[in-house]
Amino acid sequence: MTATQPLPTLLVIPTGIGCELGGYAGDALPAARLLAAASGCLITHPNVMNGAALYWSDPRIHYVEGSALDRFAAGALALRPVRRQRVGLLLDAGLDDGLRWRHLQVAEGCRASLGLEIGPVAITDAPLDVSLRQGASGASWGQLGRPEVLLRAGRKLKAAGATAIAVVARFPEDPGSEALAAYRQGSGVDALAGAEAVISHLLSRELGIPCAHAPALSPLPLDRDLDPRAAGEELGYTFLACVLVGLSRAPDLVPLAAGLPGAGALQAAGADLLQIGEVGAVVAPAGALGGAAVLACAERGIPVIAVHNPSVLNVTAPALGLDVLVAGSYPAAAGLLVALREGISPAALERPLRRLVGVG
Amino acid sequence: MSPSALNLRSVTLRLPRGSGSLLAQIESALAAEGQPVRWAITAVEPAPDPLAGPEGRVMTIEAVVLV
Repeated sequence: MTATQPLPTLLVIPTGIGCELGGYAGDALPAARLLAAASGCLITHPNVMNGAALYWSDPRIHYVEGSALDRFAAGALALRPVRRQRVGLLLDAGLDDGLRWRHLQVAEGCRASLGLEIGPVAITDAPLDVSLRQGASGASWGQLGRPEVLLRAGRKLKAAGATAIAVVARFPEDPGSEALAAYRQGSGVDALAGAEAVISHLLSRELGIPCAHAPALSPLPLDRDLDPRAAGEELGYTFLACVLVGLSRAPDLVPLAAGLPGAGALQAAGADLLQIGEVGAVVAPAGALGGAAVLACAERGIPVIAVHNPSVLNVTAPALGLDVLVAGSYPAAAGLLVALREGISPAALERPLRRLVGVG
Repeated sequence: MSPSALNLRSVTLRLPRGSGSLLAQIESALAAEGQPVRWAITAVEPAPDPLAGPEGRVMTIEAVVLV
């Protein structure tokens, strides 16, 4: 698309807020592929890339768990691309025998058919006890009854050689719920997403390695009115395949903050590290600009591209007092990225073109 | 962090939009509740003084914190 150097770009589509694009089963993947082509280097999070049994691997796309993305944007972490990760599999003791075997067989399939390095496997010493909740805003949230059980199993996997961790937790089911029906028919919030984010944020923050989560659920009965955006989650028994593929090449998380053990040596060694200072833009839904990564970028003066992508939130640039570049769609955002990458002022592409203003 | 007696807690804060770094303001408010695991500004509304800050707005922040 362009012969110039890549313009590292963050793509944020928050999970569990019902984004029209990206609020379902990996349905932001085409937009991510487009923005990766436009920028030459896209850093994004599992909600964008995970389509249950569907996934896409692109060397220009860096798969970074949401809380790690926040710390990257804050300048506390750098990213180091790797050839492969050794993905440990953390299974919730709350899985019944059938679900546990299904997920182990997904992992075996990814080893056999995709050549991924997976293992070791750990089962938590007690059920994680996941619960779901909806905030007053309509966003989905959730909790773990036993966070220490998750962390203990994660530490065990890391000590046994895992360089990334895929978590599979048993999620509560309510197949007859109105919220689930609305989601499957393309008009609701993903009720599981908030709890998933809490699980992966907690583990990634504690262990400092790439982590992502797949919920374990019983297959749903056929819904002939299924929205195409939700279809990726209806193809099989698990949502794990996309997580294993994403983590298999997720970049290492390299701490940068002063005072952390080894940080100086890592920085000194790090010509191949990707750091926030190199990022040229952040792309986020125009009504969901109130997250840590977007605010950190805005405070650093990194251009924020606010894309029309309705959700349950209405936290806009004017409400927050942010200056942004407005895009009516993800293809329009891709055009803005190409302009930034080529050194073309986005203002020169607008009409009317405002006159220069004098100073002093 | 100690592995024992950890709990996750849902928190909703209403904060006046102060001047200066928004991020620092939010992180400081959340730190008083626990270690933030996940948070987002989920609403920004105009509000009358003295509830609103110099910007005349109040933010709602939904969060999960570790305590």
